[in-house]
Amino acid sequence: MIMFLIKKSDVLEIAKELGKEYQVLGPVVDTDSGQTFFEKTEPELIQLKAPIPSVPPKYTVFPQIETLMRYRYDRESKAVEIRELYEAKPKALFGLRSCDLSGLLCLDRFFLGQEFVDEAYRVHRKKMFIVTNTCVTPFKNCFCVCTDSGPAAEEGYDLNLTELDDVYLVEAGSDKGRELAERMGLEKADESYAVKKKEAVDKSVSLFEEFATDSKAWISRVMNRVTTGFIREDVWEYIGDQCFECGACTFVCPSCSCFNIVDVNNADGSSERLRTWDSCSYEGYSRMAGGHNPRKPVEDRRNKRFFCKLSYSQMKKYLRPGCVGCGRCAWVCPGNIGLPKVVEYVRRETHK
Amino acid sequence: MKQKHGVCTFCGTGCGHFLAVESDTVTRVFPSQNHPVSKGRLCVRGWNIHELLTTKERITVPMVREDGVLRECTYDEAISKVVDVLSSLKSRPSEMGFLASPRATNEETYLFSKLGRAVFNTNNISLDSESGHRNSLNVLHEGAGFPGMNCPVEDIRKAEFVLVLGIDITKQNPIIGSEIHLAAQNGTQVVTVDSRRTQIAKLSNDFLQIHPGSNTLFLGALGKAVIDQKLAAADFIASAVEGYDDFAATVAGLTEDQIVSGTGISYDDIKKIARKLAAANTAMAFFSSGISGLDEETIRCLFNVFAITGNIGKEGSGLNPVAGLNNLQGGYDMGAAPDLLSGFQSLEDVKVRSAYAAEWGSEPPAIPGRSIPELLEDESTPLKALVVSDHDEGIIRYADRLKEIDFIAYIGAFRNPFTEYADVVIPVASYIETDGTFTNTERRIQLSEKKVEAPDGVLPGWNVYTMIARKAGADWNYSSAEDVMNEIVKVTPRYAGVSYDRLRSRGIAGIQWPCDGNNPEGTPFFSLEKAGGKLKCLALSGDFEVKTADPDYPLLLMVGKAQHFWHQNNLMKKTYIPLREYNATLLDYPEGFVEINSADAYELGVRNHWTVRVVSLSGSMDVAVKISDDVKPGTAYSPYFVQDMIKKFLLGHTNILRQGEDATIPVRIEKV
Repeated sequence: MIMFLIKKSDVLEIAKELGKEYQVLGPVVDTDSGQTFFEKTEPELIQLKAPIPSVPPKYTVFPQIETLMRYRYDRESKAVEIRELYEAKPKALFGLRSCDLSGLLCLDRFFLGQEFVDEAYRVHRKKMFIVTNTCVTPFKNCFCVCTDSGPAAEEGYDLNLTELDDVYLVEAGSDKGRELAERMGLEKADESYAVKKKEAVDKSVSLFEEFATDSKAWISRVMNRVTTGFIREDVWEYIGDQCFECGACTFVCPSCSCFNIVDVNNADGSSERLRTWDSCSYEGYSRMAGGHNPRKPVEDRRNKRFFCKLSYSQMKKYLRPGCVGCGRCAWVCPGNIGLPKVVEYVRRETHK
Repeated sequence: MKQKHGVCTFCGTGCGHFLAVESDTVTRVFPSQNHPVSKGRLCVRGWNIHELLTTKERITVPMVREDGVLRECTYDEAISKVVDVLSSLKSRPSEMGFLASPRATNEETYLFSKLGRAVFNTNNISLDSESGHRNSLNVLHEGAGFPGMNCPVEDIRKAEFVLVLGIDITKQNPIIGSEIHLAAQNGTQVVTVDSRRTQIAKLSNDFLQIHPGSNTLFLGALGKAVIDQKLAAADFIASAVEGYDDFAATVAGLTEDQIVSGTGISYDDIKKIARKLAAANTAMAFFSSGISGLDEETIRCLFNVFAITGNIGKEGSGLNPVAGLNNLQGGYDMGAAPDLLSGFQSLEDVKVRSAYAAEWGSEPPAIPGRSIPELLEDESTPLKALVVSDHDEGIIRYADRLKEIDFIAYIGAFRNPFTEYADVVIPVASYIETDGTFTNTERRIQLSEKKVEAPDGVLPGWNVYTMIARKAGADWNYSSAEDVMNEIVKVTPRYAGVSYDRLRSRGIAGIQWPCDGNNPEGTPFFSLEKAGGKLKCLALSGDFEVKTADPDYPLLLMVGKAQHFWHQNNLMKKTYIPLREYNATLLDYPEGFVEINSADAYELGVRNHWTVRVVSLSGSMDVAVKISDDVKPGTAYSPYFVQDMIKKFLLGHTNILRQGEDATIPVRIEKV
């Protein structure tokens, strides 16, 4: 591993350097509401220490709504005209948390790692520069230590930052990352910094007990149960009764990838194909043409979601658990059945 | 930052959201984590509002009808047409009507009403097609002098007891439902009373599945149970409640037989609920207000029960009518009613009219008008011209009458089947293309600032109304929505302390009215101590009769429930995901359905999706059967989301439907 150092006060210089070549996105805090977003921003406005952004940067590669193409069919000549509409400028994600990077890697497996490669996703994802930021203290909603996705990123970044006293350790995870650090003339870090980083990460893990008070998720215990299916039906009913079918958990999930396709006709005779986020919590999600719905009761659809996040069979697809331990689904759930709660109910066999 | 804070404009909850704006278009939506109402949550509608906000189904050009066909024209031509027709009727104000929108901003609705009253001399001004919310406001005004929801959504967790009455709240106003669910998890005793088993029923400590149409009787019985068990708050009644004895006498006459046979609930169970209510230091009630909410008698009864247990007028306690549409409360606040001026001031009050005259230059006409649905329903009214602001399709139940009206002007942002009836169509900017305020169900006035440009040349509503007034010769000089608010606060004591600057200074929190010199930061909850005076136990008719089925028509059909209302919602049809979700029922049951219990289905020998004939004394309809144990044996449920059902069957029962949540029709079901 090639490592560099940068003074704490200079760390945004990296974002500024990236700004010459990329559109820079990073954590910024809205002053009126105090809410953190991961947004396109001027590099100097980035707040590296802000709590994890309320919305994951999933939208940068998989927008909430996107026009994929416009097409026109001429009946007389039988000519078909199809034009792709997605486009993407090279983006630099600066200060990404490791949970969100893990989510991105899950999406990569889904959109790029299977039989069909999703072209729109590929266009967004390629030419991306990723700078992760190790969480030296966890936030109250976090449980990445239970899902193997933090507090420090292990793969998939170009540069990884770790705050150590008055410097940031800058680890290069790719040639692209190394070249940038060298171009900026960053000081090389000696091996002692690897030890210091490990100490910082170990300390962060030890702080979960005290800081990450919102979510205690005994994931490994429940993975077994979800995979083998030995969960009482009335436990799922108990969970399903509390589902408001809003879709929030899937929308804020860094690894959820389901989408809906809609064709919209324009007044000029052309049509547009849209892709929107979809959610397994919606009844229409699993409804088939003709009206049959294999997962009509809400508890069947909830059951499906947690299978996606927690089963071994799903892990084989992602090469990691589907849940990345960010805790966002617990923030946004009107029914109070975020993943940690579900894990608790399954573990304790809570039912009516 | 491209994230812009705003207010969700679907239901009356008024959740906060952030809209991401890129290249002048909304690209995504995200809940506002620190918003006092929604605290980082949104429902299926709110999560997909960007689909509505980017729809191409907009009205972008003014149009006039010529030889039966709408043709594009200029704003000036369309406005001249409206002014010509309305001016010619000015001396006969009973022949025109203004149908205001429960979705438009406060500023737009204020000007819309002012246009009717000050410029064209009519009081035929009203909001939506049904009067549910007005019933709630009337009761709260008469009983407590406070025409609005008593408690903020934030305080639900402070209540030790919550009664959910006849509202499918997790579907209609999901985020309020969420707060009730979280309160229940936190130890609040939640009691749901409904004729159908709803989601909140499953999440409650107690669920009483009463017979359809017995809400009033149930509440009378609850009042009796309080009094019989000597649980009334005697000290509070002595110091702060008038009319207790009359109420006690009215409910004393109820017999146990009458209660049990009418509600289907044992008196012991009702007594148990009364004990829970009385044991709680704080208690709230939630009920549907808006499309087919409770009727006034039922709400009066509820008010009395809560008054005599000391649960009105203090923190964590009170009656909470839940508005279904984003600015239904604001619409009433702006005086969009035939007998009201802004802030629930009576039109007949001379002092109020003269205060208006000081600001308007002329008094509003003194004689109350009639509501638009009333005018449409009553064939004998001379309605000749109708001006409609942004509206859903519910009103199309009066389609035949609409065709007879000489002149209809439609003013709105989104394409709407209503334009088929219109002689003039005038586009206005949508929610995010202009400034404006919305007042949610808990009286919270929230500023929504312009986020994107309107389509080429489309003007904001305040601007269009100003142009109409000026064309008609009035001296209106507003140059922004803020100007309009500055006038509203002068004629509306409950809004007196509001200004755009103050709203901005409060960040995303908004202000809950009354906001005036005494309450510069607004009024989160209704405090009797602060308001002074006493609560009035309200007089009841004493008629607790519940309609029962008879041998010829053995099933009691419930209709008019609000949860399916969104099917007819014009805005929903401009989205993709919510449309799919709300349309699933329509796709499954294109002719509509009647829901019956499995025991009744077995007896009839019918299966799911079979077509049956629902027959009442005055009509019949053929619909599919939906078998569900969410309804009790002997009862049936049919939501009116299919036009044919409305036209062929329900219109024959207009008088019954007026009873809102208590409306029932005895029917028999035949196999076909």
